Amino acid sequence: MTKEFGVPPVVFPSGGNPTVAVGGNTQQRRVPTAPFQPPRPSNSGIPFMSFEVGSAAATTSGPIGGGTGPIGGVANFDDEEPLLDELGIHPDQIWKKTKSILNPFRANPTFHKDSDLSGPIFLYLSFCLFQLLAGKIQFGVILGWIVVSSIFLYVVFNMLAGRHGNLDLHTCTSVIGYCLLPVVILSAISLFVPQNGALRSGIAGVFVIWATRACTNLMVAVADGGEEHRGLIAYACFLIYTLFSLLVVF
Amino acid sequence: MEGKILGSSSEYVQSNISRYFSDPQYYFQVNDHYVRNKLKVVLFPFLHRGHWMRITEPVGGRLSYKPPIYDINAPDLYIPFMAFGTYVVLAGLSLGLNGKFSPEALNWLFVKGLLGWFMQVALLKMIFLSLGSGEAPLLDIVAYAGYTFTGVCFAVLGKILPGYSYYILMPCSCLCMGIFLVKTMKRVLFAEVRSFDASRHYYLLLLIGLVQFPFFAWLGNVSVNWFL
Repeated sequence: MTKEFGVPPVVFPSGGNPTVAVGGNTQQRRVPTAPFQPPRPSNSGIPFMSFEVGSAAATTSGPIGGGTGPIGGVANFDDEEPLLDELGIHPDQIWKKTKSILNPFRANPTFHKDSDLSGPIFLYLSFCLFQLLAGKIQFGVILGWIVVSSIFLYVVFNMLAGRHGNLDLHTCTSVIGYCLLPVVILSAISLFVPQNGALRSGIAGVFVIWATRACTNLMVAVADGGEEHRGLIAYACFLIYTLFSLLVVF
Repeated sequence: MEGKILGSSSEYVQSNISRYFSDPQYYFQVNDHYVRNKLKVVLFPFLHRGHWMRITEPVGGRLSYKPPIYDINAPDLYIPFMAFGTYVVLAGLSLGLNGKFSPEALNWLFVKGLLGWFMQVALLKMIFLSLGSGEAPLLDIVAYAGYTFTGVCFAVLGKILPGYSYYILMPCSCLCMGIFLVKTMKRVLFAEVRSFDASRHYYLLLLIGLVQFPFFAWLGNVSVNWFL
């Protein structure tokens, strides 16, 4: 049973006046495809990518031509949303969040209030890359440990905070992921440090303490209820980052 | 918090779970001061000057125990969780210092530790059942079993330090954990069990104390095999 639908010719309107050149085309195309007509994206918000140009009315091209309308309607390449925005990856936000971790003595929690997972994924990939350069293929291990440790910290934080705990798993994973930055730097540095030495462990210790401080400060600032349990949460974060540093050092 | 963890908050589900689980939030009401003092009690139980009874308070017509912040003898779940995590990290460290580190070994140590915890819980639960009262809350027993991991951490620390410190630290911490468990269980048994059969009580308590030795030997000897 074959479906019959005609492929309409692709016409890019010049100057945004769709009714001028296309009247003939739509007329032509409408006849054979009537039973299987795709739904008109007449500002209904259904993201349907169709190559119908100026489908029902000239009004659809107006808002889409502005560049901020829903996907669908006019197939104007210049008017589509940028790919990174569609995916929800905002590089400048990632960069700002990453830079805020670089200062180990003062936490800047303003950027971390809205959590995202694309920065942590980027940091995870670079961590795996440096481990790969050291000869250890540990992609799955690191991902598994990040998941398990963020669930662990989520449970511990919310239980400690009691009634006021409002940390959610997404924010927890995001904060843990961003605070992996010192461990990533540690793995980059440890490529050049001799294998069996106290220097390796010493440097690892410094970076672990940096990561712990950053993580604790962010956790307490981003979610409520953690203030009076700072030391307890700091110990949990310390355990998590020591675990990751074990992967790097040994 | 239970609603958040369980997702859907149907009353029936919550009431059934709370019959077996007894509100985990109670065990996490801790603070810095409690944690420090409780660690001192757990690791050096012979220095504890006070009594071992838990303080009760009448809440809504029933007697219930005070939360850990107000009562040093109340069990909590924060210390067992952290002790377990510290055990895994320290064991990984000792494996690494002997050149045998690998992520799979660490995962195996995690599973081994969980198995050990589960066996301790099973032992304590069976002792309760054999004395005719299985009514201590499950999370209480999980907490008491988890306290042994603080001693195991010290044993593994002894393995990391050079020399024969393992063979000194291990029996000492084993003894201390045994004394702690026996004293705690004695109090719990006297509170929960109705019939008092003195000799059986004491033999079972002695059993709890003695079982700690092979338990510590099994967990403290950090390696990747099933036994040993």
